[in-house]
Amino acid sequence: MIVNEWCMYCGECAAVCPRSLIEVRENSLIFNEGCKECRICLKVCPVQALEKEEDSELS
Amino acid sequence: MLIETDILVIGAGPAGSSAAKHAALNGSEVILIDKKSEIGAPKRCAEGVSKEGLKKLKIEPSSRWVTKELSGVLMKAPNGTSVWLNEEKVKLPEAGYILERKVFDKHMAMDAARAGAKIMVKTLATGLERKDDSLIVTAETMGEEFKIKAKIVIGADGPESRVGRWAGLKTTIKPKNMESCAQFEMAGVKMDDPDSIEFHFGSVAPGGYAWLFPKGDDIANVGLGILTTETDKSAYQHLLEFVENCPATQNAQPVELNIGGDPVGGMLKELVTDNFMIVGDAASQVNPLTGGGIISAMEAGLYAGQVAAQAIRDDDCSKAKLKKYQERCEENIGKKFKRDLKVKEYLLSLSDEELNSIAEAFQDIELENINTAELIKNLIKVSPKALLKLGKLF
Ligand SMILES: Cc1cc2nc3c(=O)[nH]c(=O)nc-3n(C[C@H](O)[C@H](O)[C@H](O)COP(=O)(O)OP(=O)(O)OC[C@H]3O[C@@H](n4cnc5c(N)ncnc54)[C@H](O)[C@@H]3O)c2cc1C
Ligand code: SF4
Ligand code: SF4
Repeated sequence: MIVNEWCMYCGECAAVCPRSLIEVRENSLIFNEGCKECRICLKVCPVQALEKEEDSELS
Repeated sequence: MLIETDILVIGAGPAGSSAAKHAALNGSEVILIDKKSEIGAPKRCAEGVSKEGLKKLKIEPSSRWVTKELSGVLMKAPNGTSVWLNEEKVKLPEAGYILERKVFDKHMAMDAARAGAKIMVKTLATGLERKDDSLIVTAETMGEEFKIKAKIVIGADGPESRVGRWAGLKTTIKPKNMESCAQFEMAGVKMDDPDSIEFHFGSVAPGGYAWLFPKGDDIANVGLGILTTETDKSAYQHLLEFVENCPATQNAQPVELNIGGDPVGGMLKELVTDNFMIVGDAASQVNPLTGGGIISAMEAGLYAGQVAAQAIRDDDCSKAKLKKYQERCEENIGKKFKRDLKVKEYLLSLSDEELNSIAEAFQDIELENINTAELIKNLIKVSPKALLKLGKLF
C-alpha cells in the first residue's frame, strides 16, 4: 500500500480494515502482512491518501 | 522494563481520561497512556456538547475550554428552507456549548492526574498478552520498548481501536456504519444566526449531514460526514463543494483541516472480557443520529472507572464481575441509541424533495407547545412513511 504524504493519521482506515492490519502511529501508518486487497481502507479515507501499488503503476 | 499497576487505560481522549479519573478516585492505582505528544491534538471533532451532558457528569464549564454558548438549532433542507428551534422549545443535543477540544481534552486528562492517575504521553501500545490473572501490554516511548502488567486494561483508543481486537472483542466497523468526516475551522463565516448551530441535510452530504458550529465572532467549524457506501467522492471533495456553495462561507477562509471516522452503527454488543473493558469510540459509543460521542464516552468512562475500581477492591477481575459496566452502559446509553438509530434510518431514506416538503411544512408550525406525538402526527401528514419507520418508537 502506498501512503501518500497528505495522510493525516486520523485512523479511519484502521477502524474499518476487516483484518486489523493497519497500525496508526502519531506520524506514520504501518500495514501488516495479510492484505486481502478488499480496498475498504482506500474507499473510506476522507482525503484519498491511500493507493494500491498496481494502480500507480497503471497510471 | 516492567511496570505493574492495578489499571492501565490506553488512550487519553474523553473516554480514557474519565475512566482513569474515576478509577483513581475510587482507590485504584492507574496508569493512562496516549500515543500523542499533545493530548487533544489534532482534533477529530466539531466540538459540540450538551449542557445537560456536562451537568450529569458534574463537570463545571470553564472559560478555558468553552468557546461559545448556544441557544438554537437551525436545520436546512436542500432548497434552503430552514426550520429553527431554540432552547426553550427543545433540548439541544450535542450543542449547548462549543468547546475548544484541544484544551478540553487536556483538562480532562489533568483532572485524571489530580485524582491520582499517572500519565505517559507519546507512549504507544503495540500489543497485549494474557498472563495468569493479568494482562501484559507492550508499549513504546521514544524508541524504547517496555511492558506494563495490569489487573485490568481499559481500551479507550478511539475508532481505530486495536486494543479491543487484541483482547478478542469485535471492534471492526463496517463502512456502512462509519461516517467519513472532513471539516475546516474557518474565520469569516457569516451564519444566519451566530448563536445557533446549523445542520444541512440531503445530497450535500450523502448518508450524513453537513454542519456549521459557531465558535464565537466569525469563527466556525464547517464540516460534514458522509457514508462512503453512498457516494464515490471523498469527504474532503464533498467539503470543498459545500464550502463553495454555502452562503455562509462565501468569504470564509480555513485555518485548520480536520478529518476522521465517526462510528455511528450503535454500541458494540460485547464491552468486556476477563480483565478487559472497552470505552468510547472504540466501543462505538457514539449517538448514531447526531454522531456526538464526547458525553457518552465520558459517561461510559465513569461507569468503567467505577466498576474497574470495585473489581480491584474485590480482587475479582473476571468477565462476570466487569459485566456490571456493560449493563450500566446498555441501560443508560445503549437504549437511547437504539431509538436514535431508527430515526437516523428514516432520515437517511429521504430524498432531497421529501426533505424540502417536510421543512416547508414544519417551517410554519407553532412548535411552542408541541409534544412528540403531535410532532410525529404532523410529520406523517407530509411524509407518510414516517408512520412505518417511526410510529412504534413514540
Ligand atoms: C469530524 C468529527 C466531528 C465530531 N463532532 C462531534 C461533536 O460535535 N460532538 C461530539 O460529542 N462528538 C463529536 N464527534 C465524536 C467525538 O469526537 C468522539 O466520539 C470522541 O472523541 C470519542 O472520545 P474517545 O476518548 O473515545 O476517543 P478519542 O478522542 O479518539 O481518543 C482516543 C485516544 O487514544 C489514543 N490512542 C489510540 N491508539 C493508541 C495506542 N495504540 N496507544 C496509545 N494511545 C492510543 C489516541 O491518540 C487518542 O488520543 C465527532 C467526530 C468526528 C470524526
Ligand atoms: S484514513 Fe486516510 S488520512 Fe486517515 S490514517 Fe488512513 S490513510 Fe491516513
Ligand atoms: S485492502 Fe482491505 S485487507 Fe488490505 S489493508 Fe485495506 S482494508 Fe485491510
